[in-house]
Amino acid sequence: MIVTYNWIKEFVDCDLPAAELSHLLTMLGLEVERMEEVGGGMDDVVVAQVVEKNQHPNADKLSLCKVDNGSQIVNVVCGAQNFKAGDKVALAQIGATLPGDFKIKRSKIRGEESCGMLCSEKELALSAESSGIMILPESYTLGTPLFDALGTKDVIFEIGLTPNRADCLSVVGIAREVAAKLGKKVHYPGLEVKEEGAPVASVASVEILAPELCPRYTARHITGCTLADSPAWLANRLMAAGIRSINNIVDVTNYVLLEYGHPLHAFDYKLLSGGKIVVAAAGEGEKFTTLDGQERTLASNDLTIRDGAKAVALAGIMGGGNSEIGEGTTEVLLESAYFNPSAIRKTSKRLGIHTESSHRFERGADVAGLTRALDRAAQLIAELSGGKVAKGIIDVYPAPVAPRVITARLSRINAVSGLDLSAAEVQDIFERLEFEVQQGEPGVFTVKVPLFRVDIEREVDLVEEVVRVNGFEKVPATLPQASVFSDLPSDTQRLASRVKGLLVSHGLSEVINYSFVAPSSCEKIMLPADDFRSNGMVLLNPISDELSVMRTTMLPGLLDTAVKNVSFRTLNLGIFEMRRIYLPVEGAELPEEPLYISALLTGRRDPEGWNQAKGDIDFFDVKGIAENLLAELNVGGVNFSVEELDPYYHPGKACRILSGKKVLGSMGELHPTVQENYGISTPLYYLELNFEALLSARKKQGAAQVPSRFPSTFRDIAMLLPRELPVADVVSCVNGVKAPELEGVEIFDLYMGGNIAAHEKSVAIRVRYGSKEKTLTDEEVTRLHTKVTEALQKKLNVSFR
Amino acid sequence: MKDKLEALLEEALSELAQASTEEGLQELRVKYLGKKGALTGVMKGLGALSPEERPLVGQVVNTVKAKLEDALDARATAVRETAKAARLAGEKIDVTLPGRRQAMGSKHPITLVTEEICSIFGALGFAVAEGPEIELDFYNFEALNLPKDHPARDMQDTFYFGESVLLRTHTSPVQIRTMLKQPPPVRIIAPGTVYRCDSDATHSPMFHQVEGLMVDKGITFGDLKGILTLFISQLFGKDIGVRLRPSFFPFTEPSAEVDIACVICRGKGCRVCKETGWLEILGAGMVDPEVYRHVGYDSEQYTGFAFGMGIERIAMLKYGIADMRLLFENDLRFLKQF
Repeated sequence: MIVTYNWIKEFVDCDLPAAELSHLLTMLGLEVERMEEVGGGMDDVVVAQVVEKNQHPNADKLSLCKVDNGSQIVNVVCGAQNFKAGDKVALAQIGATLPGDFKIKRSKIRGEESCGMLCSEKELALSAESSGIMILPESYTLGTPLFDALGTKDVIFEIGLTPNRADCLSVVGIAREVAAKLGKKVHYPGLEVKEEGAPVASVASVEILAPELCPRYTARHITGCTLADSPAWLANRLMAAGIRSINNIVDVTNYVLLEYGHPLHAFDYKLLSGGKIVVAAAGEGEKFTTLDGQERTLASNDLTIRDGAKAVALAGIMGGGNSEIGEGTTEVLLESAYFNPSAIRKTSKRLGIHTESSHRFERGADVAGLTRALDRAAQLIAELSGGKVAKGIIDVYPAPVAPRVITARLSRINAVSGLDLSAAEVQDIFERLEFEVQQGEPGVFTVKVPLFRVDIEREVDLVEEVVRVNGFEKVPATLPQASVFSDLPSDTQRLASRVKGLLVSHGLSEVINYSFVAPSSCEKIMLPADDFRSNGMVLLNPISDELSVMRTTMLPGLLDTAVKNVSFRTLNLGIFEMRRIYLPVEGAELPEEPLYISALLTGRRDPEGWNQAKGDIDFFDVKGIAENLLAELNVGGVNFSVEELDPYYHPGKACRILSGKKVLGSMGELHPTVQENYGISTPLYYLELNFEALLSARKKQGAAQVPSRFPSTFRDIAMLLPRELPVADVVSCVNGVKAPELEGVEIFDLYMGGNIAAHEKSVAIRVRYGSKEKTLTDEEVTRLHTKVTEALQKKLNVSFR
Repeated sequence: MKDKLEALLEEALSELAQASTEEGLQELRVKYLGKKGALTGVMKGLGALSPEERPLVGQVVNTVKAKLEDALDARATAVRETAKAARLAGEKIDVTLPGRRQAMGSKHPITLVTEEICSIFGALGFAVAEGPEIELDFYNFEALNLPKDHPARDMQDTFYFGESVLLRTHTSPVQIRTMLKQPPPVRIIAPGTVYRCDSDATHSPMFHQVEGLMVDKGITFGDLKGILTLFISQLFGKDIGVRLRPSFFPFTEPSAEVDIACVICRGKGCRVCKETGWLEILGAGMVDPEVYRHVGYDSEQYTGFAFGMGIERIAMLKYGIADMRLLFENDLRFLKQF
């Protein structure tokens, strides 16, 4: 909503400077988003008089003038010819900046000095076109800044209105707020419609066939109008509000719309068949051409204004080309009606037409005040076009709406706000808002709310009005006296933060990808079309096709991020993302949204540097991260399986991660085809873990173990195994030997090739023995160690080296 | 004899002063104190002396021997120290070379800010609650007093999957889910991802919010002001100005926008605050009775407040990020700064 400082002042006495008025509006909830001075910063453009006008000695088309700016006579070279000596003109003096950031400097034009410029209206942004320079009225005082002399100096406020404040979509509405805050009264303009024509009922009639969609319709008839351009004051006001001036009739309807906030429509009466208005629903599929030239296909719940034969307007939204005011219009039928907000909204939304009119009707117009707008417009049209207004108005209002009466308790107002207001203070605020307060029992207000305040429906709305007009700054900042809580926060957030911290310390950086991905993303990671992940939820109105499906796996997002970073030459990459995936559930409206920990690595293990190790990341880096993470969360029963691998993995370098039989996630090198699909040249390693599954597999933290006070003893075993035999089997075989002195086992060497047969591998382990009671003797250790070697031989048939 | 001994000592000491290696010192030790050494030779000759002379000369010999041994030890220590110093000098490294580092990652600025906000409210007794991102119309709109065809729905451009299934446009549905699950009192904070179909320098189709809700007996609008003022002073510093100004949200009444004094220009007016000196960072208000009706709370008995803030906005202010898109481009050169 755009209003100007001077326009507001027409309705309320307010001597606040513009900046303070702007602050006052913002603190009332009418946020001023932009403030702009009209004619501001142009005080160097002054009223001046041409004293002499001579031919420029060196240029045929230029004149050399002596101009009086009120304090001295200056030389100015001018190219225009539409003036003579003695004319008052607009002189842009040296130092002035004209619209378009055009700076006026002292200059020499064809050898003659010029100290300024005589301006046209176009150069001053006072009109779109102009011929020649501006000639000012004789009465203007020399030396006065031009915009002061013109009286058009003003300040534009652009207000970002919240959708509840339909009443402030007008200058009067905003003035009403200013008046309430300052404790002043709004001056409503006097309305005197000179009714000179025939009785209106003899020329026109109105019938409402859909009273639930149009509870009230009023009209006036004006005859003998002469269509012309609007006067400057009217055109300028519309221009400030961003509305193009059209003609003196249409402009009046727009002006009154801005002034009172009530949309009006003017029909060319002669184009209405039978001088008749019928308000009725459209026929399903009916075609109608709105005055913007678009043909619209209507539905049966669209409300139309019709004459005896056809639709002439889309009610409350836009008129029709077939009854438009235009050249040849002399008789006008002026409509001021009230339409059902949700009906207007539905039609406007479905047809995609948003107008100043629909904007107001869908937020709720003033059903009581619409005749005031009708009279104001009729008066102005008669004044500006010389028309005669018919006697009386047509007012079809079958079921008049009564203003709401709401009770509000002083105790409630103070309890919700934290204020300590008296009954008199509250009553004063209501009255300043033009709410009628009826006397009731002490501390209870019975408030009659004017119909223009469609947002006030309940006691709490009145509470808000009191706090708002009283001023939010007057509410004391207090801290609540809260009860003690029995339910403490879950540790999910804390653990999530710990997981992220652990990944960061392993060199991974957190990324955040959009939750929606391209439809092709699953195919790109080799998931077959019948995989459950290939059928993510599809957005009906995505930003683009590339962002149209809710992700079912974290992998594509991480791969896209990797590609982007590699293109920036970040070749050694460790990234993670801990976010949700969205898995549709058969028969349920909402999907599951498990939280996934996912990571992607490629390139070198360590940072580049003169003294850094040069190895590349491999499977065991990812596995190490996973193992640390599982240990950090104290996940129990962890085991790894190479069965049922996802297709995006290298079939020989990946595994699933389980706790007992419960799948927690998977990890491994990505399939070379995936790598090719994304055009990355180095092998990629991926890890995914379902965070909620991890949390449910956590062991209770056991009691802390006291370490033995006696030293442990180590014994090494080197052995040959079949190459296919997992080393994990060796470890579990050793751990299977039941002896409290067996403290642990470690793999410290693995060797293949060389002098080892192709079907075998050499594995070396170190077994640690110890006791809490004593230092074990050599004999005791040997006895235990023999048990271990026997078990290995018997169960796994290994040969020792 | 005595003179001979003193001459010997003198000679030995001067040779000692020349010796600069441990080997050289060892040779001198052998030369003078060894089995065939000079001093030993003198001592062997003691037997030829008269019994009167023998103790006197013997004393001199012992003194010379002791002096020589001390001098040898002192010289040995000095030589060792010199040699060590020379070795250390040779071991000097260039400490300006970078150290050997493990790769370090970084948390996303959105995570950092979210964690900070949650920890401030955690200290104020707010528990963290969560809800689904794919929501039903009921929780995202209906129950928050945003009926179908309400113009306020235009404030939030919604992504839809079907008539009633959508991507939540704010974290407010978590309020509804929490209140439907538990009776008052409630004191929660709900961080999460939200979506609106909008994309430019200041809008991302996916962004993050933190929602707060406190419902109990006797909670006032003044309490909301107090809690938010405290929160903002924790997040942005003690002397940052805060103001609440009236606004509109369908699910709160009264409603407020919360502004802080521009952290860039400190209230003087700049491009970031559009010359107003203020930055909008929060929406808040007293929970609307209509919301209580949907969750079955008694609005006569309980009052409370709710607030919501955009995490991107706060991250952008805290870290001086001008374009929101940077937060979702995932360029590691950008992310590694945090």
